[in-house]
Amino acid sequence: MTGYFSDIWRLRYFWLALVRNDLRRRYRGTIIGIGWSLLQPIAMTAVLCLIFGQIFHQNLREFAPYLLTGLTFWAFITAAVMQGCQSFFQGESYIRQHPAPLAIYPLRVVLGAGFHFLLGFAIALVFVWFLNGFGHLLAVLYLVPTFALLFVLSWSLAVCMGVANVVFQDSQHLIGIFMQMSFYLTPIMYDPHKVLDPSSRLLALFKYNPFATLLEMIRKPLLDGELPSLWALGASSAFTLLALCVAALALRCFEKRMIFYL
Amino acid sequence: MTLIKLEDVGLKFRVRRAGKAQLKDFLLHGLFRRSKQTSFEVQALEHIDLEVGEGDRLGIIGHNGAGKSTLLKLLAGVYPPTSGRRKVVGQIGALFDIALGFEVDANGWENIMYRGYLQGETPRSIREKIASIAEFSELGNFLNMPVRYYSSGMKVRLAFSIATSIAPDILIVDEILSAGDMAFQKKARERMKTLMSSALAVVVVSHDMKSLALMCDRVLWLDHGKTRMIGPAEEVIEAYTKQSDKGEKRQAA
Repeated sequence: MTGYFSDIWRLRYFWLALVRNDLRRRYRGTIIGIGWSLLQPIAMTAVLCLIFGQIFHQNLREFAPYLLTGLTFWAFITAAVMQGCQSFFQGESYIRQHPAPLAIYPLRVVLGAGFHFLLGFAIALVFVWFLNGFGHLLAVLYLVPTFALLFVLSWSLAVCMGVANVVFQDSQHLIGIFMQMSFYLTPIMYDPHKVLDPSSRLLALFKYNPFATLLEMIRKPLLDGELPSLWALGASSAFTLLALCVAALALRCFEKRMIFYL
Repeated sequence: MTLIKLEDVGLKFRVRRAGKAQLKDFLLHGLFRRSKQTSFEVQALEHIDLEVGEGDRLGIIGHNGAGKSTLLKLLAGVYPPTSGRRKVVGQIGALFDIALGFEVDANGWENIMYRGYLQGETPRSIREKIASIAEFSELGNFLNMPVRYYSSGMKVRLAFSIATSIAPDILIVDEILSAGDMAFQKKARERMKTLMSSALAVVVVSHDMKSLALMCDRVLWLDHGKTRMIGPAEEVIEAYTKQSDKGEKRQAA
């Protein structure tokens, strides 16, 4: 196990260089380059604020940062999962040539998505600070371990999806649909407690949704200046651990045999 | 010292039938066990016993599809044996499929870095080598261009220059000598010679019997994934040539 990670670490220049290349390629030939990454969530937030602010009569001061964090988070998770599906195909020519730990290919994807996540999150921080100020600076520091958890989770998910998709290429379509449905079952654009009837059964879905609990772990400290609930912490950690175990198991089964499926 | 040891190694591929509906087939097959097979198996290698020691120069010959390249990839660790045991001591340098695996949007310099890193280089060690790699490839200003615009010959030049910039313990080569244009081939052959003399062991696949006889002291003849013959180079090559000639005559008759 430690051998596996030290192999990954030994090849760090390789996957870091690939991540850098992926990021550069994305903005090749554009004028504002990385600016698009900043502009995209802002534009999305602006238009949603305009519409939902009218529909739900939201206070924009609160709603804008709420939306921005939600959208950034979701963009990251979908990117990790959907690009994770392709990660081994993307690295196929390297896999065919040179034995290396397979987990570096999903890692490449997650780090690329993570970069955009951090950018988007930086904007969210500025928004919050500008509009409301931080409730509690210590609470904001609490985001650091949360991000570490999020990193482990997304890497694990990307590995799982990558393996699943290589074995069954139908997986990416199934996962695409699943992620689309999850989008509406995760409090990204609206707070279910504000729009749903308190007795609604749907609320349970939000409660047990690990993406929702992770999102709470990000929003509570940042937007409310409070520590997230123990439930959110526990559920998120448990889900991450589960994903990690499944990823480890998948790699254990397929690390060697992957080449036969590519 | 033994560097490579294969004990009764077999490799079975599962090849998917071309076409769609894998999940459906899988479910049907898994649930009812009646539907048609979704994949079929190919026994690429069977009962291979092989030992390569220090100082060995092993050549592998055989007809197309005999399993030569598969055996090389198994030696290099790209394919795991599906039966039997594979043991390798020492760092392996493999030259096959080298024209694959470029980041086509990155330029030549960057691709030298990526490949180098994959071969275990660090930014510092690659910095020392990058000039000589570039020089050997003779690509000059083309190195500033994205690899997307390279011709296949240019790609081979670049790949060969990178791949041969390390001095591995065990060198594994698949028909590399036909790389690039005439001038480059000559250079490549020279470099292969120096690499081969510095490597502890060399395994090479080729159809060029003349150069094989010069390069190798032992030759393995593969036939349908099995060892047909293994022994001193001249003997095996002679037997192989004789059999090939016979096959030709039979076709002519």
